[in-house]
This record gives sequence, structure tokens and C-alpha cells, in this order.
Amino acid sequence: MANTACFMIVSKNDIPIYEAEVGTVPKKEDAAHQHQFILHAALDIVQDMAWTTSAMFLKAIDRFNDLVVSVYIKVIHTRLMLLHDSRNDDGIKSFFQEVHELYIKTLLNPLYLPGSRITSSHFDTKVRALARKYM
Amino acid sequence: MEPDASIETSSMIRVAVLPIASIPPLLFQDYAAMLLRHHTVSLNSISSFYTEHQKSPFANQPWDSGSLRFKFMLGGSPPSPWEDFQSNRKILAVIGLCHCPSSPDLLSVANQFTAACKSYSSSLVQRCFAFCPGDSQLEEESCKGSNIVLFPPADRQTQEFHLQTMVQDIAASLLMEFEKWVLQAESGGTILKTPLDSQASLSSEEVIKAKKRRLGRAQKTIGDYCLLAGSPVDANAHYSTALELTRLTADFFWHAGAMEGSVCALLIDRMGQKDPVLEDEVKYRYNSVILHYRKSFIQDNAQRVSPLSFELEATLKLARFLCRYSAYSLMQDFSKEVVELLTAAADGATSLIDASDKLVVYVEIARLFGALGYHRKAAFFSRQVAQLYLQQDNKLAAISAMQVLAMTTKAYRVQSRASSEPSHDDGQTYADGRKMHHYSIVSLFESQWSTLQMVVLREILLSAVRAGDPLAAWSAAARLLRSYYPLITPAGQNGLASALANSAVRLPLGTRCGDPALPFIRLHSFPLHSSQMDIVKRNLAREDWWVGSAPSGPFIYTPFSKGEPTHGDKQELTWVVGEPVQVLVELANPCGFEVKVDSIYLSVHSNNLDAFPVSVNLPPNSSKVITLSGIPTKEGPVSIPGCIVHCFGVITEHFFKEVDNLLIGATQGLVLSDPFRSCGAAKLKNAHVPNISVVPPLPLLVSHVVGGDSSVMLYEGEIRDVWISLANAGTVPVEQAHISFSGKNQDSIVSVASETLKSALPLKPGAEVKICATLKAWQLGITDPDAASSKGVPGTLGKQVKDGSSPMLLIHYAGQLINSGEPQTGSVPPPGRRLVIPLNICVLQGLSFVKARLLSMEIPARVGETYTKLVQLESDATERVHGSERQSDRFMKIDPYRGSWGLRLLELELSNPTDVVFETSVSLDMERPNNKDSSSHCTCAEFGDPKTRIDKECTARVLIPLEHFKLPILDGSFLVKGSQNNGNTGGRSPSFSEKDIKAELNASTKSLISRIKVRWQSGRNSSGELDIKDAIQAALQASVMDVLLPDPLTFGFRLAKSSLDHSAKLISPKKSDMQVNSLGSGGSINAHDMTAMEVLVRNNTKETIKIDLSITCKDVAGENCIEGDKATVLWEGVLTGIGKEVSPLQEIRHVFSLYFLIPGEYTMSAAAVIDDANEVLRARARTRSSDEPIFCRGPPFHVRVNGTA
Repeated sequence: MANTACFMIVSKNDIPIYEAEVGTVPKKEDAAHQHQFILHAALDIVQDMAWTTSAMFLKAIDRFNDLVVSVYIKVIHTRLMLLHDSRNDDGIKSFFQEVHELYIKTLLNPLYLPGSRITSSHFDTKVRALARKYM
Repeated sequence: MEPDASIETSSMIRVAVLPIASIPPLLFQDYAAMLLRHHTVSLNSISSFYTEHQKSPFANQPWDSGSLRFKFMLGGSPPSPWEDFQSNRKILAVIGLCHCPSSPDLLSVANQFTAACKSYSSSLVQRCFAFCPGDSQLEEESCKGSNIVLFPPADRQTQEFHLQTMVQDIAASLLMEFEKWVLQAESGGTILKTPLDSQASLSSEEVIKAKKRRLGRAQKTIGDYCLLAGSPVDANAHYSTALELTRLTADFFWHAGAMEGSVCALLIDRMGQKDPVLEDEVKYRYNSVILHYRKSFIQDNAQRVSPLSFELEATLKLARFLCRYSAYSLMQDFSKEVVELLTAAADGATSLIDASDKLVVYVEIARLFGALGYHRKAAFFSRQVAQLYLQQDNKLAAISAMQVLAMTTKAYRVQSRASSEPSHDDGQTYADGRKMHHYSIVSLFESQWSTLQMVVLREILLSAVRAGDPLAAWSAAARLLRSYYPLITPAGQNGLASALANSAVRLPLGTRCGDPALPFIRLHSFPLHSSQMDIVKRNLAREDWWVGSAPSGPFIYTPFSKGEPTHGDKQELTWVVGEPVQVLVELANPCGFEVKVDSIYLSVHSNNLDAFPVSVNLPPNSSKVITLSGIPTKEGPVSIPGCIVHCFGVITEHFFKEVDNLLIGATQGLVLSDPFRSCGAAKLKNAHVPNISVVPPLPLLVSHVVGGDSSVMLYEGEIRDVWISLANAGTVPVEQAHISFSGKNQDSIVSVASETLKSALPLKPGAEVKICATLKAWQLGITDPDAASSKGVPGTLGKQVKDGSSPMLLIHYAGQLINSGEPQTGSVPPPGRRLVIPLNICVLQGLSFVKARLLSMEIPARVGETYTKLVQLESDATERVHGSERQSDRFMKIDPYRGSWGLRLLELELSNPTDVVFETSVSLDMERPNNKDSSSHCTCAEFGDPKTRIDKECTARVLIPLEHFKLPILDGSFLVKGSQNNGNTGGRSPSFSEKDIKAELNASTKSLISRIKVRWQSGRNSSGELDIKDAIQAALQASVMDVLLPDPLTFGFRLAKSSLDHSAKLISPKKSDMQVNSLGSGGSINAHDMTAMEVLVRNNTKETIKIDLSITCKDVAGENCIEGDKATVLWEGVLTGIGKEVSPLQEIRHVFSLYFLIPGEYTMSAAAVIDDANEVLRARARTRSSDEPIFCRGPPFHVRVNGTA
């Protein structure tokens, strides 16, 4: 089933530190930009919502047209954001949990400066594999 | 869909405001602005204009609290098809604005106005306001009866008042018109239709339906008019009826409209009240409004017209209401509900048919998000709006798109520097920037959504190009290129470069833009003043004002300087008015095309520097360090925040700080790339801008060494005068100057004519003074000469110059103090300057000293009429002995008659390894015979003999007789140790310590050594002195006693006066006696003749000595010829065992006669045994025991006995 998904990690300074198009729909550059624009705009809502709930997984917090934004907020206010059109909530939740684990592993790397871009290709490969698995 | 819709919109009377005739746009705006202020007219203010013709249908009109609201539509608006549905959409009044001076013919104005009103058929009142009419126009009759209202020329306040009155008049007229209309509508049957109602021929069923519905619709419309007339209670009554009727007829659309009106009436009625109950009521009712609008959707005409826009409008109205309400209330936050409403509206917008409706929805959504504080959401929808605009392919839409996108730049952090507020952290210094905490660095790069930023900038560029705004296009392209060059392909970079160039072509020359493009510029360094122009702070409190100012050493950091390091690294830089300064900056072009910088110069915000532009070409992917210069023009602090660059046809300002921040980000991995490193520029420590201040003009001394500034070649020990010319190249006279030395080998500067410089002060601009410095070349190091002499090449010593062993002259000079009277506290005096003149001395190995030896020599004296100096000593015996100088002492002429016994000579061996000839001469400075009582004048004894010439690569020896250094008295002080002094030591204290003795001895030795000078000369103008003090001291060390101290007794022989008849002629030609080889004339003793002789014994000590004198005479063979069997000399008088007593410093004579039997050479000598010798004598004789007799032997004297022939 072809679906659209764009995954992003946004640091607490609102800097995107990782971004990936993980959908199976053939990529169009314009669309990719649009996905990022939507995720960027959703930050406003996430920012408000984050303080009203104790949940880490905020399901379908924002939407634009048929695209839905789900967010997983970490304690240090790093946000894992996913723009998707599928409704597979459980899969998304598992995806977030696994990526969270991956991200923590990255953080443990002494050479990684928290808040800077994640450039590890291993991380990228793993994230894409997880995306295929859960969505 | 209409923009800016809110619930209250239903109560607003639409008034078209039209420009009539030729009114200048600016004036139209001005008048319109005046008019717009009167958007609300209270009912009680219009009561005077209102006349009740019939019974008013608005029974419950609140005359005391209510008001009419106007919505002025500038330029009018086209009639809406939904006018019947919502009466507030009707243009109910038309106001024309006219400027009389620009349209003198009022009649034509009136005609034009009437024509303009024709298109507003729904308008009930028309007025044309004519401003500033002339006198003739005021009197004109033609406009009477028309709707033209003349505003007589008056001041603004009066005009405004006049306008207010006119608006109130209009309001009153409208109110009366509304009454008329309502009365008419209640009585007659108006048919109200909307586009929703099918336009096609109505079927009978529908006609019946429409008839049924008519009543409800009429009630709704009357309600609308009540609302417009400012009577919410009446409106509510009508709406209630309408609601009932429409519900019964299932006219959902009108039902919803009536409900909307009722909410508006509710709000107007409760104006100013804030209570949650009202809030909930509005929310509840509006939700049902939205629901009913949705219900009214009819499938069959969905293609043509749809109530969706009303549904969305209602949604937005509610959202706006909640949004406004949540802004007031702290208790309730409706933002979540607003977000939901807006999200729903956005969803609905996708199915809107009309593009402009969609546009309006997005605009409204963006505005509402913005009002909520959701700037990113607002930016997102703004961008949607811009995209819709860009889909319409026309210039106006492009301009709109550009403007909308410009609003999003803040949220996407790509705003143009021109539009962003002036950076608030200008005061932040570079030092602070360097200490910046990591997190604050991160905050500098917040929201680096580079993909989005690039997209937005690209869209701005596209829209600007389409809109034909070259400056905006340039700015967008510059931002895009500067910030995102690493993400753009070389082709894309080239495209941007050509976009920049194309935009620049359309811009007027010299256009400035706030956003810098390429190149990246960072501060490289501030070159310090050259040592020739050093500026030194002046310390007024001290005479030597330069002390303790600038660190003169080569070390910037000294471990001893305390204080906080942050303060320490803030460098101070002083520039001088009128003297060019330089700043090094580094440019980088990380892009794939060549950047041609037409001109670049320092940007000086303090306006006291004339910067000189330069032009640079930067090849692709390259960096360059260039020097930018300028001339300070005014005193005061200078701030150089960046450079002004003229590149790609536009002038931009590049700030150093931005690049510095960028580089900080690059080191933290927050920015994509460091433009300098990618160009291969060397890593540079963060250069920070020092505090620069400009001081008034200072004098400027320029120096050069007369005869060439190259190094002075000197042989070791050479003394030479160097003339240094100092010229004042400044514009201010030099008032103070002081010369000091620094560097290595300072003692090689013997003297500097600082007096000459002092006397030349004040040195006027352009004046020149020459001062003389006497230099003496130092000795080369010990290791060097070995190496050099072994090679034998003097040129190898040239390297000596480079190691900085040359001394330097430091001249501190300053101009006049400005207020020479009393120095004001707080005012900083103009600084002084320091000129460093390095004296480049190249010392070549010269005459070198090989070794020194002490030689002794014995030449027997001759007995003659002439006598030793001791005779003459006797003559001035009244003088103090040590004060008398042996003036006649011709130093090295050996008097053959006097002879010299125990003559000591210092032999110096000198070698000349150079390739020039040296001539040496030894001189003895007789200035100080001893270190006491040096009242004497300079008597420099020099050898009469010619100079010793030492050829190249030869060695030579020079002899220095040391006889003269004998002290005249044998003073006990040198020898006596302990306390056993007797009275003869004079006033010396008995507790004369050994240390002092040694010191005195050393002193006299030193004075001896210092008096020996070996001067040399080579060629015409090289002369110098050998430094051989240490060598002489070493040579003399062993026998210094012998050299310095005289024997206790001096013996001498001469012919006695009794034989005067023979020797008379010999006395007179005294000079002849001095000749060494005048043996013939000297030998005046004849054989077989009684020769009277006398022996002279002088006591050189300060006490009486008892001696036992004896005289011997030996022949050539050394046989004693007085005694024994073969005695050849007869004698008379006593020759042995003569007991004598010699008083101190006196001499005795003992006369005897000899009769030589055989002519020939004889040697006479006297000897004495000293009785009762004291300590001094023993010490001198170095006896071992006190019993040992002390034996003194005089030097031998030759006697030549002539035959009697």
C-alpha cells in the first residue's frame, strides 16, 4: 500500500536534526518541501499541547488536507514528528518507540554534540528499516 | 467570502468611498483617513439631524447608548449576489471625495459623482465632499441642489469637525431611509432571492414554496435593517420570528442567516460585557449556524453555487470571536477550539470552488493563527496564500504573493535585514561573543530549517521577478546564495548569480540593499604601527612621560601582569588624524563562479574615517586577504563593524560579527559549512575589533642614517661617529624629545648628541636635525672568532647582524600639550610617539689579541755626570713626594747612563686575521699616576716612535714598559698585614683591614691597566681601541707587586763634583747624555787618573733605615778588581762596611775615589744590608724569618775607562 510519510527529529531549539522521507509514494521534491512546511507549522501546536498532557505520544495532533502529524515528545523536549496519511496508530507508536531508542543510542555517542544534526548513516538506515516495518 | 469578517459585521452599514474627478491619490488617502475615523456614530449625536416622519419601526432603538457602525469601502466594491441575503453586504451609501483645486468645475464633479453612484443602485444616501474649494467655487450656484458638500478651507481641526457633522448627517439620513424601507417591506411584498434558489423557471411547487418562505426571509431582512439601524432589540424580535418561519419552511440557509443575525444582535446588545455564559451562548448558537449552513447544501446546484463559503465564513467568525475573547480572558483558553475551527476551515477551503474565496479563507486562517501567536502556522497559511497568488499569472498577484511571503520570512527566519528590527545586540562585544555559552550559540541558529528557508526564499525570488521588483529579487537571491550555497548545485549558484546580475541591471546605480550577498568577509587583523610610528601614551605626572605606558618588550603576554584576562585581551589601538591606517580583512567566495567585487571599503559608523575603496576579483572557491585602508579625519572613537561592498551591482554592508557567528556555528556543527575553510583559507583565531580611538595629529619623526641606512661595518673595538638625520614629517611640531637606548650591546653606543636634538626643539614640520652617535664596536663572541679565524673569511661574520645584536636608539617625542596651562582632569593628553632607530652594526673581526707576557730586562747603567731622576727629585723635595711627577720622563728612551735594572715590559702579541692593514700605537694615559690626588692635568705620554704596522694575516708584538707605574714610595700599607704598623704609616688607622688593602691594591692595579691603551687605525677612517684589559690583568696578576712597588733602596753612581774640572763640559750638554750610543762622550773617565765618584742611596720608605753599604767594582771578566791579588783598581775612601742611616724619602751620598790602572769596561755595584729591618721591608724582601738579614743590591753601573793616549 502506497503511503506518504515524512519523519523528522526536531531538537528543543526547534532545529531539525534529522529528516527523512520514509513513505513509499514515489518522491516529488515539491511534496517533500510541503511535508516539511506542514511539520514546521505543526510545531506551534505541539508546543502548546506538550504542556497540557503527560503523554509522550501525541496522536494526530495536527493535520493538513489528508496528512496527519503525530508527535512523540521526549523528556528533553526533542520531538520526533511524523507526517503520515495512514491510520496505523499502533504501528506509528511502535515506530516512535524504536526510533526513540535509536536516538538515545546516538545521544550516548560521546562525539555527538546534543542539538546538532544527526549525520550517522547507520541511524538513517535503521530509521528507514523501522519505517518499512511499521508502516 | 469576504475578508475580515466577524460576527459584528452584520451590524455595519457599508459605505462606498469613491474618488471623484481628478483627486491626487495621496490627498484621497488623507481625506479618507479623516473619514475612516468616524466609523461609529452614536445615536444621540445624530438626533439633531433626525426627524421622525412617521412612526419609527425601530421601537426599541437605544437613543442614548446605541450607535450606527459604518464600514467604509474605499474605492467601492462590486455588488454581491448575496445582497438580499445579508443586507449588510449592500452598499447603502456613497461618499465621493473631491479636491476642488484639482477639479475646478463643480458641475462636472457633480455629474461625475452622479454617474459613479449609478453603479450602486442599492445606495440610499449619496454625498460628495469637496475639499478646499476656491472662493469662486464657494459662490457657485451650480452645485446647489446636488449632493456636493463644500468644505471651506480651514485648519484641520475645523475640517474634522465639519466632516464629523456631515457624517452624522449622513447617519441620520440613512436611519430615516432604513425606517422607510422597513415600513415598506413590512407592508409590501418584496421578493428576496439568493443564488442558491434555482434560477431556472420555477416549477409550480417551487413557487408555492417560495411564497411560503417569503415571509420568513422578509422578517430576516427587516432584522438585518434593525441591526444596521443600531437597534438590536428590534432586530432580535424580527430574527426570532424569522427563525420560526424559516424552520417551518425548512429554509435552512435563511434560518442560519437569521441565527447569525440574532447572535450579532445579542452581542451588540451586550456590548462590552464579558461573561462566560454569553460566551457559551455565542458558541452554541454559532455551532448551530455552521450546522445549518451545512444542511443547506443542495446537491443539484453544487457545481454552480454552494453555501460552503458561508459555512466557512461562520467558522472563521466564531474563531475570530473566540480568539478575541481568549485574548482578553485569562480564565479560559480557547486556543485549542480556535485551532480546531481553523483546521476545519482549512479542510473546507480545499473544496471551495472560487479561487478567491479560497484565498480569503487562507488569509483569514493565517491572520487568526497569527493572532493566537502561532506564527509558524500563520506563516504556513500565508505561504499557501502566496502559492494561490502565484497560480494567477499576473503582476499584481505576484506583488501580493511577494508581500505575503515577506510576512512569512520572520517565522521562517529568513527575513531581510532591512525589514528586521535593528539588531539589538550591537553592544555585544566580540569578547563576549567568544565566551558565548554553547547553548546561546545554538540559539543563534535557531530554526535552521534550511529546506524550508530555501523554498521560501526561492518563492520570494520568483514572485519578485514576476512582480518586477528588482530590489526584492536581488535581496532574496543574495540571502539564498549567502546562506545556502552549500545546498545549491553549481548550476543553481550560477543561476542565482545571473539573477543577481539581472536584477542589478534594472536597479538604479548605487542602490543599497540590506542583505549582503557574497563574498564572506571576516576581520583578519589590525596591523600594528610600525616601530617607526609607535604611539605611546603620555603620563603627565612624570617627567619621563613614556615610562609605564605601552609595553615596549616583544611579549604581548607577561606572566606577571595580573587582572582579569578579559580586560587584558581588549586591545587598544590609536590612530592619528591624517595618517593612513590599514585593516586586513579576509574575503571568501565559496561558490562556483567568479565574484567580482567592484569596490570594498571599511564601513565606519562613527564617520571619522575616510575609507579607500579597492576592487578585488575572487576566483571560484577561493579566499583572499586584502588590506583596506583609510585616513582618520576626526578625533574620537572609531567603530568598524564591517565593510561596504559593491558587488553584483548593489551596495551592501557586510558585518564582521555575522560571519564570526557563522564561524562559531560551523565549529559547533550547527551550520552547513564554513565558507572560509571550504575555500582553503587558513584557520584564523577569532580576531576581535580592538577599541580604536583617533587622536589629533601628532608629530612624526622620520629617521635615516646619513650615508645610507644599511648596516655599519665595524671592526671589533672600532669607534666611529654615525650621523642620524631626524626629520619631522608630521604636521605638528615636536616639542619634547628624549633619546634612550635599548636592545643588546647597548654599551656600544658611546655617546649620542642628545643635546643637539634638545636644542633643535621645537622641531617644526618639515624641519630636520642631524645628531651624532658615537659607536664603539663590541667584541665578537668567544666562539665566533675561532670559527671565523679558522676559515679566515671575514664575510662569514655578516650573519652577526641578523641576530639582532645591534642596539637601538629609542626616541620618545611628543607634540604640544593642548592646554599647556593647567592640565584638566579627565582630559587625556595627546599621546607621544616612539621612534626606534635600529643601529645596524655589523662587527667584523679586527685586530685580535693573542697573548700578553710580562718580560723583564736588565740594562746596566753608566756612571756619568748625568744622574737619575732621583737627583732632580731631590731638588723639589719640598713637594710631597707622591705628588711630584716625573715630568721629564721620556717613557721608553733607555738612558744608557742610567740603565735599567729589573725593567719590566708588557709584551702584547697581536694578530691581524683580516685583509686590511692595521696600525697600532700604544699610549699611556698618565692622567692619574695614582688614584689619589688626581688634580693633575692630562698628560698623555706617548711613544715617540712610529706606529706599529700589522699587515694582513700577520702577527706583531707591542711592548709596553711598566717602569712608570712604580709607586714613588714603598708604603707599608700594601704590605703590612695585621696590626703591627708603626707610626710611619701616618694617619692611617691601625685597624686597617686586609680587605681595604686588597681593594687599594686592586684599584691601583686597575688604574695601571686602564692607563694602557692600544689604539689602532686601519685605512683612513677606521680607528679604534683594543680591549685588552683582562689580558693585561691576567699577565700582571702574578707580579703586580714587583711592578708596582719600588725597592726600598735605590742605588746610583755618579762622578763626584770634585772632578768638576774634567766633567764640566759633560754636564752642560745634557741632551747628549741622553743619546744611547754616545759612549765616547760619556766615557770621560781616564785611566791613571783619580776619579772621584759618589754613590747615592735613596730611601724609598717612609722610615729611617740603617744600612751597611758596600761598593764593589768588577772588570769585564767579572773579577773583583778592587780586592784581591790582581786588583787593577786602586781606591781611596771607604768601600765596604759603610754604616749609614738614611732618613725617609731622602738620599745619602758617599764619596769615594777610584784609580783605574787599566782602561776598559768596569762594572760597579752597590749593595747594602739593612739593619733592624721593619715589617714593611721584610714583607717586601719576602724574608722568611725575622732574623734573616735583608740584603739590597743595586743595579750594575758600567764605567768605561779610557786610556791615556
